[in-house]
Amino acid sequence: MLRFWGWAVLRVAAVMLMASFASAMLMRIAPGFSSDDQELNSGLSSQSIQAIRQARLMDADIPHFYASYVASLIHGDLGASRSLNQPVKDLLRERLPVTLFNLAFALAVGWLLGLALAIAAQIWDTRALSFFANGLSGTFISTPAAALALVFLLLRWPPAFAAALLVYPKVYRYTQNLLQQSSEMPHVLTARAKGAGPWRVLAWHIAPIAFPQLIALVGVSISIGIGVLLPIEVVSDIAGIGQLAWHAAQARDLPLLVNLTMVVTFVTVCATLISDAAQRGLSRSAA
Amino acid sequence: MKSVRLVAIAVLVLTALTVLGARYLAPAGYEQQFREMPQAAPSAHHLLGTDDLGRDRWARLLYGMRVSLTLAPLAALFTTVLAGLVGGIAGYFGGWTERCCKLLIDLFLSVPWLFLLITVRAVLPLNVSPEASVTVTFALLGLLGWAASARVICAGAKNLMKSEFIWMARASGFSGFKLIRLHLLPNLRGALLAQFWISIPVFIIAEANLGALGLGVSEPLPSLGSLLRELQDAVMLRPEPWRLLPLAVLIVVISSFQVLLNKEEVRS
Repeated sequence: MLRFWGWAVLRVAAVMLMASFASAMLMRIAPGFSSDDQELNSGLSSQSIQAIRQARLMDADIPHFYASYVASLIHGDLGASRSLNQPVKDLLRERLPVTLFNLAFALAVGWLLGLALAIAAQIWDTRALSFFANGLSGTFISTPAAALALVFLLLRWPPAFAAALLVYPKVYRYTQNLLQQSSEMPHVLTARAKGAGPWRVLAWHIAPIAFPQLIALVGVSISIGIGVLLPIEVVSDIAGIGQLAWHAAQARDLPLLVNLTMVVTFVTVCATLISDAAQRGLSRSAA
Repeated sequence: MKSVRLVAIAVLVLTALTVLGARYLAPAGYEQQFREMPQAAPSAHHLLGTDDLGRDRWARLLYGMRVSLTLAPLAALFTTVLAGLVGGIAGYFGGWTERCCKLLIDLFLSVPWLFLLITVRAVLPLNVSPEASVTVTFALLGLLGWAASARVICAGAKNLMKSEFIWMARASGFSGFKLIRLHLLPNLRGALLAQFWISIPVFIIAEANLGALGLGVSEPLPSLGSLLRELQDAVMLRPEPWRLLPLAVLIVVISSFQVLLNKEEVRS
C-alpha cells in the first residue's frame, strides 16, 4: 500500500512538472511571445519599456526560467503574474475557491441527475422515461459549453448548472450501460427468477458489481468539469481559474500559465489516481 | 431504438446533401453583403434574415456547415493516424517504448482536453487570414486530440501481439513492417475506424467552443462555431430567435452522430 502511494506521489509530481514545462515551451515557441501590449502604452517611460523587455528576455530562456521557477516552487514561491502585477499565490487564493465551488456543484448535480435517471430507467424501464433521459443526455453532450453558457446568461440561470448539465451525459450514459450489462449477468437473472423485486436486485446484486467501476468515472468527470468550466467562466465573467487561464494565455503571462497548468494537472491527476485506487480497493474487497 | 437510428441516418444524409448543394441552395455567397438591409428579418429572399453586416444568414449557415463538416473529419483522420502510430508503436514494441508512449499519453490526458485546446489556441495568433485560421484550428484539434484514441489502439495492439496467430506469423518468419501490414493493421481496422468516427462529433463541438469564444475560424469565413458568436448579442435573442438556429442545427447533427456512435463511445 505504502509503495503504491509512494509511486503515485512520484507519478503526480513528474506529470505536473512535465505538463508545466510543456506549457512553458509551448508559450515560448508561440508567435508574438517576445512582444508585449504594454510597449505600445505611450504613458510608459523608455526605462519602463526597457524593464518590460528585459523581463521578457529572462522568460525567453525556458530552461533557465523553469529551473529558477522550480527552485522558487520548492520554497513555496509561485512567482508573480506579469500581466496582473500580483503574486500568483494571491491570485490562486482568490480564484481557486470560486472554481472549486462551481466544480463541486457541477459534479454533485451532474452525478445526482445522471445516477437518478440511469437508476430510474433501469427500475421502471418505460419508453417515455428512457426517451426523456436519452434525449436530455443527447442534447447536452451535443451542446458546446460556451454556447450553453451564453444561453444560461440569457436566461439568467446559474452558470454552474450549465457545467452540471454538461457533466450529466457522461455519467448517465456510462451508468446506464453499466447497469444494463450488470443486469444481464446470470446471478441477477437467477435472483429475478426467484422473485426478488427490482429495488432489491439493484441494491444487492447489481450495485455491488457496478459501483467499483462507477468510481473510475469520478476522475473522468472531474476532468470534464474543469474543461467545461473554462469557457463557462469566460462567457459568464466568473472570476475563477478558467477565466484566469484564458487571460494568462492571451496576455502570454508565462509564470501565471505555468502555475495554472500545474494546478489543473494536479487536480485532474489526483482525482484520477484516487478514483483508480478506490476502484481497486472496492474490487478487491468485493472479490 | 431502431427508428431513432434511422432518423439519425436520415438527418446526416440530409445534412451531407445540403452541405454539398450549398452553392445551389444559398441565395448568395457567404461573404456577400446586402448593405441596404443589415439585420433584416427572415423573408422569402433571406430565409434566416441577414446579420449585422447584411450577409445572408442561411447562406452562412450552409457554408459554415460545409467548413465544419468537411474539416472535422480531416482532423479526425489526422488524429486517428497519430493515435494509430503512437498506440501501435507502443503496443507492438512493448517494454520501454510502451512506457515512454504511455507517459506521453498520460501527459496529454492529465490536462483536461478543452482546457488544453482553448489555452493553446489563445496563445497562437488570431489576426491571421481565414484560410490560415481554419488550418490552425483544425490542425490543433488533430494534434491535441489523439491521446485517448492512442490508449485504445495501444491496448488493442498489445492484445493482438499476445494472440496465437501473431505468434504463428512470427514463427513463420513474419516480422517488422510485413507483420504490421498483414496482421496488425487489418485487425486494428475496427478500433481505428471507431476512433475516427468518435472523434468527428468531438471535434465539431470543440471547434464550436473555440468559435463561440472568438478563437476559431476568422471572418468572413463561416463555421458552425463562428456562427455561434451571434449568440453573444443576448439582448437580440428574444426578438430574433432564429439566431439560435445554428446552435439547433449543431445539436441535431451532433446528436445524430451520438445516436449512431453511442455504443462505441461508451465502450471506449
